[in-house]
Amino acid sequence: MMSHHGVSPEFQGIMDEITSIGLDWHSETLVENSKRNKPFIAKSIKDIASPQQKKAESAIIISAGPSLYKNNILARIKDSGYEGSIVAIDGSYVRCLKAGLIPDYVLTLDPHPTRIVRWFGDPDFESNLKGDDYFSRQDLDIAFRNNSNEENRRNIELVNRHGKDQKLVICSSAPMNVVERTEAVGFDAYWWAPLVDNPGSPGSLTRAMVNETKLPAMNTGGTVGTAAWVFALTALKIPRIAVVGMDLGYYKADTGYQLTQTYGPLKDKVGEDNLKDVFPEFTYPDTDEVFYTDPTYYWYRCNILDLLAASKSTLYNCTGGGTLFGDGVVCVGIDEFCAGF
Amino acid sequence: MSELMKGNFEVKRKLDVPDVSDDSADFKNEFKKKALESIGGSMVFVEREMLFWESTESADGE
Repeated sequence: MMSHHGVSPEFQGIMDEITSIGLDWHSETLVENSKRNKPFIAKSIKDIASPQQKKAESAIIISAGPSLYKNNILARIKDSGYEGSIVAIDGSYVRCLKAGLIPDYVLTLDPHPTRIVRWFGDPDFESNLKGDDYFSRQDLDIAFRNNSNEENRRNIELVNRHGKDQKLVICSSAPMNVVERTEAVGFDAYWWAPLVDNPGSPGSLTRAMVNETKLPAMNTGGTVGTAAWVFALTALKIPRIAVVGMDLGYYKADTGYQLTQTYGPLKDKVGEDNLKDVFPEFTYPDTDEVFYTDPTYYWYRCNILDLLAASKSTLYNCTGGGTLFGDGVVCVGIDEFCAGF
Repeated sequence: MSELMKGNFEVKRKLDVPDVSDDSADFKNEFKKKALESIGGSMVFVEREMLFWESTESADGE
């Protein structure tokens, strides 16, 4: 059952499409990649040593939404001297390194064949860039927007310098170029399978991947940031977990509807005057700042709220904005969390 | 139906027949294309309750 926020039936219908889109798009790739990655799988997330002392008490998941920069989150974590565990996602890893914040773990899951490797510095930058404007549109790390060869080269050097022995929490469905790139750097890789459906169901993709790889399976909530939270909760068993950079929406003041990826088809569907119905707004409780979401981000939001309810745990949202609040979520400032409020 | 009604002769001039797919299908296709382009760091997600699962067969080393 999805957690909803009084959205229109029109919006709900559109959002329901996302699940089938994901299945159509990924189902074959997930199992194929898991089979192909078997020769590289030496350790699983069950082999990760349990964190000790302060690292076992709390964790911060670093997602890569625009609030990370707007709210100067990385510098604030570093300046606080925070001693808990830090879990970066692939999209925030380079940014963490640039901020002098070395994560304890880096998590990657997306099977996309050409995009994800870019987060680790892409050795085939020019060929993978052809015909794809994903990075020039994305708002996660604006340094990536320029598609600069020079920026990519600097990232390669940065990851080469810091990645050796860095714990990488890597999904069995990762694309080959991410596997090869991270292995070449010398990451300390711990593998897992994505828990995408009920393993007891006939034709379960999860069961197929687990049977192939013999790995434990972790739910992803459909996105890498949620997967990082599930990792900290279930594999590391850390009781107090915060997220930052998990906006799951757009700043209304900065981002017009036309800058979102689904603006064109949604406008054609409902008309310019009714766009508000398909971009529902949220007011962040601590700041009264207004955000809006689109079907994809809203789907991610519903997923993490449902998993949070299922886990019966509390999530501390230190993003400082966005749409992630509701049952099980406590919004708190990052400085307060780092100080161990 | 068009197969049944086409007759048993060939016409000399070919007609351009417009695609008459409904608006809803067009929207879904366009939305799907845009959503696929936009979702990064993403994954299939159907299971909404189970967070972690380990096969007993895997644990037994089968």
